[in-house]
Amino acid sequence: MSAGSFLWKGVAVPFREGESVAAALMRAGIRNLGRDGAGAGLRYFCGIGACQNCVVSVGGSVVEACLTPACEGMAVEAVEMAHG
Amino acid sequence: MDRPADIVCDTLVVGGGAAGVAAAAELCRAGLTVELAEQRPALGGAYYRQPAGRAAGMQAGDRRARQWSRLEDELRRAAVTPRLRHVFLGVDTDGLVLLDDRNGGRVRTVRTRAVIVAVGAVERVLPRPGWQLDGVVTAGGLQMLIKETGEAPRGDIVIAGNGPLAVALAADLARLGRPPVAVVEAGDPLARPLAALRMAAFPGLVAEAAAHLVRVRAAGTPWLRGSRLTSISREDGRLLASIEDRNGATRRIRADTVALHDGIRPNDFGLPATARGEPFVLRAGDCREALGVGAAEADGRAAAREAVALLTGTAPRRHAPEVSRQRRAQAVLGALFKPVRDDGGLAALPDETVLCRCEGRTVGQLRAMLTEPDPVGPREIKLNGRFGMGSCQGRFCADNVQALIAAARPGTVAGPLSRDRWPARPVLIAALAAEEETREE
Repeated sequence: MSAGSFLWKGVAVPFREGESVAAALMRAGIRNLGRDGAGAGLRYFCGIGACQNCVVSVGGSVVEACLTPACEGMAVEAVEMAHG
Repeated sequence: MDRPADIVCDTLVVGGGAAGVAAAAELCRAGLTVELAEQRPALGGAYYRQPAGRAAGMQAGDRRARQWSRLEDELRRAAVTPRLRHVFLGVDTDGLVLLDDRNGGRVRTVRTRAVIVAVGAVERVLPRPGWQLDGVVTAGGLQMLIKETGEAPRGDIVIAGNGPLAVALAADLARLGRPPVAVVEAGDPLARPLAALRMAAFPGLVAEAAAHLVRVRAAGTPWLRGSRLTSISREDGRLLASIEDRNGATRRIRADTVALHDGIRPNDFGLPATARGEPFVLRAGDCREALGVGAAEADGRAAAREAVALLTGTAPRRHAPEVSRQRRAQAVLGALFKPVRDDGGLAALPDETVLCRCEGRTVGQLRAMLTEPDPVGPREIKLNGRFGMGSCQGRFCADNVQALIAAARPGTVAGPLSRDRWPARPVLIAALAAEEETREE
């Protein structure tokens, strides 16, 4: 079933073929995705790229986990920015 | 001199849901060149969201799957190759459309004669204390997960809010063997016989709703009508939802996921204004008027015909009887699901309730602004109060902010928080700057 795994903050998270980063993180029970620059908690919410609440960092870009397909070996980091 | 663009086409459709796909196929049949941009790695939009890898997912042998394969076939025959993972940013002052290409990690420019924007709806979600906690999702967001993975998140699920989507989601969960522990509904459709009679004009909707209700009932899920989820807290790693019935009695339900939904509204934030010169800008589907998938397809086709008329200099006319029919259906559903208590609980929200999910701005902070001796306008509320200024661009707070302003100042009409500035979505400054550089070369 599993197509591979990506790294969430350095820890391997399995995903299935074609799945989004958000779906794989939810299955792994990872719901707290960090804290953004404005100090609000990050988490999955709308699932359609509208709320910007599930943003993560991939290759230096801040992207919505719900829109981003998981890829083998991809390093996904939490967006942890200092407030202010 | 026209600036060179990465992509040149007669028409660009933004959004690969029902409205966008129908519009693209229609434009192509009219002999125009068409580009179709979609933010996700696959077409389908919210309603026709495809299972990941096309392997798992909800059982696809249903009406929804048949309708989607008909639309897909139409697009294939029209030979439109969609540009996937391209996020619409806006139209710049030179009339170029900017797309954030997530595959290539750069911004692409499109020179086109007409743009049909079909970026769908967003859900309305009323704020409640604790709605910012992780594990609290929108009902639509939970539906997207189910459609994508074919499974429900682990643990107990509570669905709360207003409108028929909650029951549809509960039925989906029941089908997966994971019925929600409760569905909390602000309205009481069983106590609205007149609206129920008017539903008879829409037998398809009645049959669908009945099937959902039968399934939810068989699963033993309580449908708590005339009730509201008033707050959510975290206790021992789980969520604790407080639910108040129409008589003010409160009960608490423990869950791992709480799905909220109070309706849908057009996703019309940061979109370019409808333009009557090239590039013409038209809106189609839920982002023009949130009427659901049936109207969206018809509206997409109507928008395409209107674009063809504009480009060929004939009189444009939007004519779509199906859109009118769906508008009537939504009005009846609205009456059927009308909340038993009208205020949506906004006036009673405690000050510490988060209003803006992006920046954690609270109801109390807005109330303090509204009681300042010099009356503040929507502009100050946005720029100084930072309501509607976060990265979702007000998609999940603007309506609630406006409702709270109206409640605090009875008799006055609050202007909308401005939301007409592009980019429609956050974009890396570096990606925009790289586009600038190519322009100067």
